[in-house]
Amino acid sequence: MAQASLAVDGISKAFGETRAVRGLSLDAAPGEVIGLLGPNGAGKTTAIRILTTIYAPDSGSFAVDGIPYTRPSAIRQRIGVLPESAGYPLHQSGEEFVQYFARLFGQSRKSARETAKTLLAEVGLAERAASPISMYSRGMRQRLGVARALVNRPRVLFLDEPTLGLDPAGQRQILALISEAATERGATVILSTHFLDEVEEVCSRVIILNRGEVIAEGPVADIKRRAAPRTARVRVPEENHESALSALKRAPGVGDAQAVNGGRGLISATLDGSDTNAPIRALLEAGIPILFFELEGGKLSDAFLALTGEAGA
Amino acid sequence: MTTLTPEDVRREPALQLAAGAGGGWLVIAGQELRDIWLSARGPAIVIGTSLLLSLLTYLAASNEELNIIDQRDTVNLLAQITMALAVGVSLLFTADCVSGERERETLESLLVTPVPRGQVALGKYLAAVSMWPVLLIVAIPYIWVLREGEGVFADAMLGALVVGTLLVIGFVSLGLLVSIFSGSNRLSLAVAFFIFVLLLAPTQLPLGGWFGDLITQTNPMTAGSTFLHRAIVKEHGWGEDLDLLIAPAVWAIAMTGVAFIAAGRLRLQGSFGR
Repeated sequence: MAQASLAVDGISKAFGETRAVRGLSLDAAPGEVIGLLGPNGAGKTTAIRILTTIYAPDSGSFAVDGIPYTRPSAIRQRIGVLPESAGYPLHQSGEEFVQYFARLFGQSRKSARETAKTLLAEVGLAERAASPISMYSRGMRQRLGVARALVNRPRVLFLDEPTLGLDPAGQRQILALISEAATERGATVILSTHFLDEVEEVCSRVIILNRGEVIAEGPVADIKRRAAPRTARVRVPEENHESALSALKRAPGVGDAQAVNGGRGLISATLDGSDTNAPIRALLEAGIPILFFELEGGKLSDAFLALTGEAGA
Repeated sequence: MTTLTPEDVRREPALQLAAGAGGGWLVIAGQELRDIWLSARGPAIVIGTSLLLSLLTYLAASNEELNIIDQRDTVNLLAQITMALAVGVSLLFTADCVSGERERETLESLLVTPVPRGQVALGKYLAAVSMWPVLLIVAIPYIWVLREGEGVFADAMLGALVVGTLLVIGFVSLGLLVSIFSGSNRLSLAVAFFIFVLLLAPTQLPLGGWFGDLITQTNPMTAGSTFLHRAIVKEHGWGEDLDLLIAPAVWAIAMTGVAFIAAGRLRLQGSFGR
């Protein structure tokens, strides 16, 4: 197995009485995109700031590309960061901005110029490279931030809410850049976001934080499975309402069935196991036509809400 | 331990810093200098200073009825004004340099680069100090026009250079120190400017008695101002008043030391006024 590009072992951080992060552990391989999820105040930004050496952990340890956290300067050479609320010097052009950061990472003037040119083209800003940042839209600034985060060909890329406030087209561009960074550059990407559909689209694994603690971790499919559908909604013709109810109640794999809001024809069936087809099979075997069928649950958002709700309860 | 070959360094830009890590301060200083001198800020201050010095020189040199003070006094006044302006402006530049970045949310991006915190501060510090030699050069023609007798020009320029440099170094360090710990830019500018005014005010007061002497000797502004006055107006030799340079020198060394120790511990958030 390839060496973990990010290895985190039980890091914790408290601010006074508030324990912002508690015992976070994870291992990430090169090219992996990991989603960091959690409601507001869950500790996502603090976790990222610890891993990007802005804050020192109170306990625990981590290593980036094998470099221990006790060598922050060496770690910074290997990471790229787009902070949650990244500001930009509005008077500079995009090109000057990226060049400046490339120079801060030790590149010569010539190399920095080439890096800026290449990265701005990659993020689709080549034509606006000479324009002052004050003329950039929010989406363009976020893409510029991604370009800046890539100037040192980072082993690990930390993106804190990179699509916040972007329109769907802007979101799409950023997600494409994230995927590219992972697949083509082999960078590990830690993506903190509120948008669960983004996570489903680009992340191979998720970590869900709540009140500083990891409440779930694993591949997206596994997390979704935790919120496996427990209920099915079925609509049958009104005249078949009673027979459908009794067929469902008798069916194996269906726990209970009852009319929804006293409505004729609309039935909610509780599933006993993982066989989501059990209600359909029961109705078809009873010769009852199905007008509508929907499973409730089974999405990452359901899992997220269930997990954070349970943890918060 | 891994040994890097030149080929590794060429291939991996991230590793290039290992070869040139010391230059971060230079890159930051270059950028800050461009921000000051290629934007409106630096040139506006130079033009403002020129206008002020022009007015004073015109009144002193061309209109004898309005010229109520001796020309040596006028040279001293010009040197003191240039120095006070440079100190005040440089102080405000460094008072903004960290807390301003915090407020503009650009500090975090800078702190996640491999440039050590001390070098970040050094780059900004040097750019702020650049205001002083520029304003001193601006003052040269005015002091030249007003010089009277042999040696006045040299006394004024050398005195201003020594005293001004010590004061600027001390106050720029003060601005940096305040900025490092301030959670808001407004607080940083207010505190730094208040301390500047507090130390500047006694130079305009008639100080007498043991308390006046104490203030003159210990306040770097009054000590520096008195030294310059005696060198230009009283025509004292340099060796006569060297004790008056102790306070500005101690101020410069102590403030620089404290500021750079604090800079090594530069944090994303300030300690006060968040």
